[in-house]
Amino acid sequence: MTRRQPLADEMSHRDALTADYLREMYRLMLLGRRFTERALELAAEQRLPVGMHPSAGQEAVGVGACFRLRPGDWVLPSLRTTEAFWTRGVTVLQMFNAIMGNAGSVNAGKESFHHSGYPDLGILAGSAIVGAQIPQAVGVAWAIKMKRIDNVAVCFFGDGAAGRGDFHEGLNLASLLKVPVVFVCENNLYFQTVPAAVGQPIEDIADRAASYAMPGQVVDGQDVLAVYDAVQTAVARARAGEGPTLLECKTYRFLGHYPSMLRDDRPPEEIAHWTKRDPISILGRHLEELGHQDGAAVEAVEAAIAKELDDSLRECEATPFADAKQAFTNVYGEPIEAMGL
Amino acid sequence: MREIELRAAIREGLAQEMRRDETVCLVGEDIARYGGILGVTEGMLEEFGPERVVDMPISEAGFAGMAVGAALMGLRPVIEMQFTGLLTVAMDPLVNTGAKARYVHDGAMSVPMVVRSPHMMHGNAYMSQALEAWFAHIPGFKVVTPSTPADAKGLIVASIRDPDPVLFVEHEDLYATIGPVPEELFTAPFGEACVRREGVDVTVVAWLAAVPAADAAAGELAAQGISVEVIDPRTLVPFDSEAVLRSVRKTGRLVIVHEAVRRGGFGGEIAAMVAGSDVVSKLKAPIERVANPGVSVPHAKHLNRAVLPDKDDVIAAVKRTLGS
Repeated sequence: MTRRQPLADEMSHRDALTADYLREMYRLMLLGRRFTERALELAAEQRLPVGMHPSAGQEAVGVGACFRLRPGDWVLPSLRTTEAFWTRGVTVLQMFNAIMGNAGSVNAGKESFHHSGYPDLGILAGSAIVGAQIPQAVGVAWAIKMKRIDNVAVCFFGDGAAGRGDFHEGLNLASLLKVPVVFVCENNLYFQTVPAAVGQPIEDIADRAASYAMPGQVVDGQDVLAVYDAVQTAVARARAGEGPTLLECKTYRFLGHYPSMLRDDRPPEEIAHWTKRDPISILGRHLEELGHQDGAAVEAVEAAIAKELDDSLRECEATPFADAKQAFTNVYGEPIEAMGL
Repeated sequence: MREIELRAAIREGLAQEMRRDETVCLVGEDIARYGGILGVTEGMLEEFGPERVVDMPISEAGFAGMAVGAALMGLRPVIEMQFTGLLTVAMDPLVNTGAKARYVHDGAMSVPMVVRSPHMMHGNAYMSQALEAWFAHIPGFKVVTPSTPADAKGLIVASIRDPDPVLFVEHEDLYATIGPVPEELFTAPFGEACVRREGVDVTVVAWLAAVPAADAAAGELAAQGISVEVIDPRTLVPFDSEAVLRSVRKTGRLVIVHEAVRRGGFGGEIAAMVAGSDVVSKLKAPIERVANPGVSVPHAKHLNRAVLPDKDDVIAAVKRTLGS
């Protein structure tokens, strides 16, 4: 049997992170957590029209994978990769506006916030079809290669997507064309409600990399520095023209799949086990040990985030909805009337 | 003017545009080394190299999605979907990602890709399908249906330059059609129908292989003293409604011919357009549609002939509109 080929490079990218960078990683993860909590409260109060697929527990994956990507790199998020948006520079106000679907939304309310793209920040809109972004990311990376620039595509998807044809076809094509793409699987152990073991006959999705002759690596998805190291190593390979990598970040969502789900069937002891491995606390302890951040500093970060949430929500709620005419624009390069029928 | 086959006209359009614009790439199964299973891309690998003319594994959904991603980044991929039935395998990337990308990005991104989809109507139930109406139904897609060599060349170039995804339908039966084609690089306009034959008694709207069938029918009917006007829309999206209305205003009779299944076919949309216009009062007979009556396309020659519309079916429909 072909064995999985691990990432060869030594993983020491974290050593180059300054205290400021580490504190910023912490802030981004905390922002993700607090935003999720606030958005869920607001949805429950019907101040926001929809809830969100909470990323709580999975913050380290989006932050670690997108941290210090370069301008010109492209991120293809999955449903729950909210932290990729924060890390690439999307603001709280932009996110609230997108959830509200108002005129301040990046697409004027044409598409829901979790399928919104921010091309100026190198984020493509995701599809509601699980895994559709995988072959698309191969095309993005192919175009990068054709342009002979050293950018990369970073493609997020969940464990559920790894059972789809898109995963197989996408990884096969990526390897054949040797394009600069990093596949980041956020394995939160559940396909919506179904445990991964019911839908997947192997333990590690990373093992599948062997089929495509690319490195595959299991990563501790609760440790933002482990994610950062692995992704930076894969990104360096990609930039050097060495082709794609599959990373499987083992993680866990602390909340249900979606707020309006009937119930959460996951065993309480499993949830308790994982919530002890909170990615924010893990980095927080590390920062404390290094003397980079104390309790007062954390309080200051919390306060700044709370203020940003309050201010942005106020501004969002004061923003009007786009004119209904907006529903009929940008279907084609020309107005829809030009289609003649 | 120099005359060439339709197949060569498409190839010439592709090659000339690839010389002009280095972002144009060809992607598909058997298109590079073999030159395309139906020979359209012969010689392209030799001229443009393996980076721009890329053989794909059997992976229609995969490379369609890949082409969408590449087009979002500013390449102009032209993918070949070997036979039309294969489109069904790639509907998610084409319909959900490709066609909607401009809209969900509110115009900040676009997908300038072309899907070449050859109709091979004498094969088997799977590959032999005419699915242009599916794509005409999708907001964001354009649908191009050339029937002459000159249109095929001008429209493939226009399709590549179009900023939106285009389904470029080819027809195996038309590949050997010979006609005059300008040697220089040119584009044919979208949304401009062509009157293939002028007439005053009955309007026949037809596209792809139905055009020569309609034209042959018109020739035979002319000998019987019936004057048929044949209109080839050339593109279904955008559609030149005015050209059809102008003609029907004159003739008062309309026959629509296509190889696709009648139910839900694009002919119904044209009929509804005419029925919903002021021209409805000029109609002297019910609108006729000549199409596959609603079966999978059978393999054996005599069964296949019974299902697909031909010259005799058009003649019969024209005569029905004349009450004869």
